[in-house]
Amino acid sequence: MTTAEARIPARPRTWPRTALVAGAVAAFTALTCIPAIGGVEVDLAAIARNWRNGADKMAQLLQPDLTFLPRTLQPMLETLQMALIGACFAAAVSVPLTLWAARPTNPNGVTRRLVRGVVNVVRAVPDLVYATILVALVGVGALPGLLTLFLFDLGIIVKLVSEAIDSSEHPSLEAGRAAGGTQLQLNRALALPQSLPLFANQWLYALELNVRISAILGIVGAGGIGRLLDERFGFYAYDDVSVIILEILVVVILIEVSSNALRRRLV
Amino acid sequence: MSQDARRAEAGVSPASAAWPIRLERASVTYPNGTAALRDVTLAIEPGEIVSIVGLSGSGKSTLIRTINGLVPVTSGSVEVGPHTVSGLRGRRLRELRGHVGMIFQAFNLAERVDVYRNTLVGRFARANALRSLTGISTAEDRRIALAALDAVGMLEKVWTRAGSLSGGQKQRVAIARALSQEPRVMLADEPVASLDPPTAHAVMAELGRINAERGLTVLVNLHLMDLARQYTTRMIGLRAGEVVYDGPASEASDADFEQIYGRRIRPQDRLGAAS
Repeated sequence: MTTAEARIPARPRTWPRTALVAGAVAAFTALTCIPAIGGVEVDLAAIARNWRNGADKMAQLLQPDLTFLPRTLQPMLETLQMALIGACFAAAVSVPLTLWAARPTNPNGVTRRLVRGVVNVVRAVPDLVYATILVALVGVGALPGLLTLFLFDLGIIVKLVSEAIDSSEHPSLEAGRAAGGTQLQLNRALALPQSLPLFANQWLYALELNVRISAILGIVGAGGIGRLLDERFGFYAYDDVSVIILEILVVVILIEVSSNALRRRLV
Repeated sequence: MSQDARRAEAGVSPASAAWPIRLERASVTYPNGTAALRDVTLAIEPGEIVSIVGLSGSGKSTLIRTINGLVPVTSGSVEVGPHTVSGLRGRRLRELRGHVGMIFQAFNLAERVDVYRNTLVGRFARANALRSLTGISTAEDRRIALAALDAVGMLEKVWTRAGSLSGGQKQRVAIARALSQEPRVMLADEPVASLDPPTAHAVMAELGRINAERGLTVLVNLHLMDLARQYTTRMIGLRAGEVVYDGPASEASDADFEQIYGRRIRPQDRLGAAS
């Protein structure tokens, strides 16, 4: 009888592969910074040349003019309204689409791939592109912003929740199927209540994202605080700009804290 | 008390309901090439309580799932009452399933849903699409579901979330769900494998009572020999997808079990008596 030490199987060698992958990533990063072969031009010297310029603006930003605050309240309220209404509409529409896009709740491969394909296309378009096009279509204001947020949220919620449903177990669906239920009955009575925490999680996350995104949507004319930000920026009124940035920061943190608290209670 | 008298007491007319089951050279081969069931021919009479015994991987779960069409047979035929399961699809298949109750090893309840709504799942095959969408059930569905919960002694937990029940309570709710289908046949796939010994005996006794009082045909998958002997009258031994034993459960000898298992009997093949 030999000792366990002597009978231990040879340990598989994995470091050459790890080294190869790390080396490839490093080489690729270096190559993308060489303009001669089509890489991006990273001119670190520009920081040294222009730092004075930036320092002046930073100094102005560090002196917020709080008397400007009352003028920001109305646009900020509009931003919050856009965020909330966009998230609510997206939440309502996401339920049937998500159940359609997940395998346990839609065994039909054709319709499932169709819904997933459409949602992937919706998600592939950047939010600022939606906003720009919608401003052209329906005019300047809160409506194009709201529609942008709706489409953006829908893509995120349907993708993340349907994948979460795919990767979790659904034994109750087998029992419902054995009892002679239709897929609609199973989804409504079993799959939906079982997946509600997954949905609630993403609905709240969508609301958080909306506050952040709608702050910049105004830059292309889609309403809210972003429009004011763009306007003050155009006038080089950096003391007003810093008030707006601070306000956005505070609102985003407040929304995040409260949605985290809500999420803990829901799940 | 005679069996008929007990049925009358339970408010069930004798043999009002039970259906026979016939398998004719039924075989199942899964898409990955595994032959789970080979040429199984069986006839189960209405009102029988039958155990299907075998090790895991012997094809018990597949066999029981061919009866409600959860697993379609690759060849041969399965008949349940007036229905030929093989070949049924869509509405007709759901109608058949509505007449066949089933309980599972893992209970298969929706954990975040209350006991009441879990039990109402048993009424799915009788409900229309509009009602299931709104979630409103008829007074009759409500009455049947509550009576089923009462029958298994779970009425007081009707508004409790299924997830907060104990294993034995979950299996009782699952039985109530199956009973509220007002089934003709009851299938049980390893119903006590996730339960502790006293609870396992209680659940097996419950299945025995359903068979005796309601006269239902009961098919139960088991891997423990003493449960099969104690609670069922007929035993079917399955090994590698083939029937290797079919006879009265009480007369099955240890040698018969060794033949079914394909090995010597081990202590873990018995559950032990109810304490």
